[in-house]
Amino acid sequence: MSRFLFVVPPLVGHTMPTVAVGAKLADRGHQVAWAAHAETVGALLPRGSRLIPVKADVSGQTPAQLQQRWQGLQRVAAFQFLWRDFLLPLATSMVPGVAAAVDEFRPDVLVADQQALAGALVARQRGLPWATSASTSSELTDQFATMPTLGAWIHQLQADFQHGFGVTDPVDLRFSEHLVLVFTTEALVGSLAAFPGHYAFVGPSIGTRTGTSAFPWEWLDPDRQHIVVSLGTVNTEAGGRFFATAVEAVASLTNRLQAILVAPPDLVGVVPDHILVRDFVPLLDLLPHLHAVICHGGHNTVCEALTHAVPLVVAPIRDQQPVVARQVVDAGAGARVHFGRVDASGLRNAITTVLDTPSYRAAARRVQASFAAAGGADAAADHLEKLACTSGRRNSAELGGRDEFFEGTGQMHGQLTGVID
Amino acid sequence: MMPDDEQILAEVNLMLVEIIGEDYVLGLHIGMDTYFDADLELESIEFVRLAAALTEHYGEQVNFVAFLADRQIDEIINLTVGDVVRHVAGCMAISTAGAVHG
Repeated sequence: MSRFLFVVPPLVGHTMPTVAVGAKLADRGHQVAWAAHAETVGALLPRGSRLIPVKADVSGQTPAQLQQRWQGLQRVAAFQFLWRDFLLPLATSMVPGVAAAVDEFRPDVLVADQQALAGALVARQRGLPWATSASTSSELTDQFATMPTLGAWIHQLQADFQHGFGVTDPVDLRFSEHLVLVFTTEALVGSLAAFPGHYAFVGPSIGTRTGTSAFPWEWLDPDRQHIVVSLGTVNTEAGGRFFATAVEAVASLTNRLQAILVAPPDLVGVVPDHILVRDFVPLLDLLPHLHAVICHGGHNTVCEALTHAVPLVVAPIRDQQPVVARQVVDAGAGARVHFGRVDASGLRNAITTVLDTPSYRAAARRVQASFAAAGGADAAADHLEKLACTSGRRNSAELGGRDEFFEGTGQMHGQLTGVID
Repeated sequence: MMPDDEQILAEVNLMLVEIIGEDYVLGLHIGMDTYFDADLELESIEFVRLAAALTEHYGEQVNFVAFLADRQIDEIINLTVGDVVRHVAGCMAISTAGAVHG
């Protein structure tokens, strides 16, 4: 029995992989909790999960307000905003709450998402064994290879943040020295030979979703192909032009396909009968019926599609998405279009090419097999158990009787923390 | 003969049309004040292509990769087509001067 604390940012894509891993650990009899912004992350956790609320405030702005500002920015400006105006202020605001959560829950192992730098800082300050949760592989690749000053700039920002909390030996908090869990495989990343041994490429960690949304299954015509157009949870509002382009792109394809747009219906307006617009869809349930997914290159959407061997058309917008898009194209599992520039005929061409060229589906199947072999959330749980064992032996030797003591206090503290129901 | 800024702008324009794609650039005026990040949404890999095109056209003395490597984040965000034109003109002037004196 060990205790695992997950520290995640108020971002859906970064929280979801930890949910499935946490569920596996709980199934194996471990104690699991999340330290996070309750309003954003609470709804993503399964019933009965323990959530220790952490203030996650960035200059008095809510995560939603920040996303609004972020959406207006392009590549490098968005990257600057992400680090300077979001991740570091977020980390600074989360440190006291994460420290309190560690005092309350007494984890044996802390798991920090790469965008929850407060988790890494607190773990190092407390001498806790900790793991990085790399929900995407984008931080592992050099996405601005032509701009080396950007990497140096991130290191400086992180050093300033750590100095502010009295850390004298600042490190790159995106990468644990104990264990880095990466939720993808070599089928997308390419050769893993250059990565150190404590990097574990476990494949996507996909659980069952809570509150699965309804879907008019009878609308699906078995004689036509089906595609989903989705821009993920963060980018929907900014996608007005893209959704309009998608509607125009598939308008003439009524005889061969049906398209499901995941978008606010009033953003898209009136559409032909073979197009369905829904705020939410149960994507995991839909995937077995799909022939292609058109998306922004969010890592979770891409991995969910490829887990079902569904090929993609990827239109990356910002952040890690160009990296993920390139991985999909390099793997042969999809085509790439330019989010800001693609027109209806270009998008239609990309969609029909992916649907009609068998090599895309075949490549998606290869990625699917690679994911299955990597083990996903179960493999991640194995690695975390090993880390807890190593540290448990060390702590028992140092402190003696520690586990019994903390079991008792843990139960008491459990009543103080928020329990999702 | 040394190309002037106007001529370099026209040449860089052609390279950008080639890199970004004619369909997109058709509806866009690329001038000295056009931003690479905000206006052209140029991607990292497209900067690599631009660097290669500049070297191919103007010769080894135009090293756009080294130029980018020295730029801080705010300079990269605010990088305009005009900055590249002036960089090319500067490199050409130095190399011309070198040829005269050398």
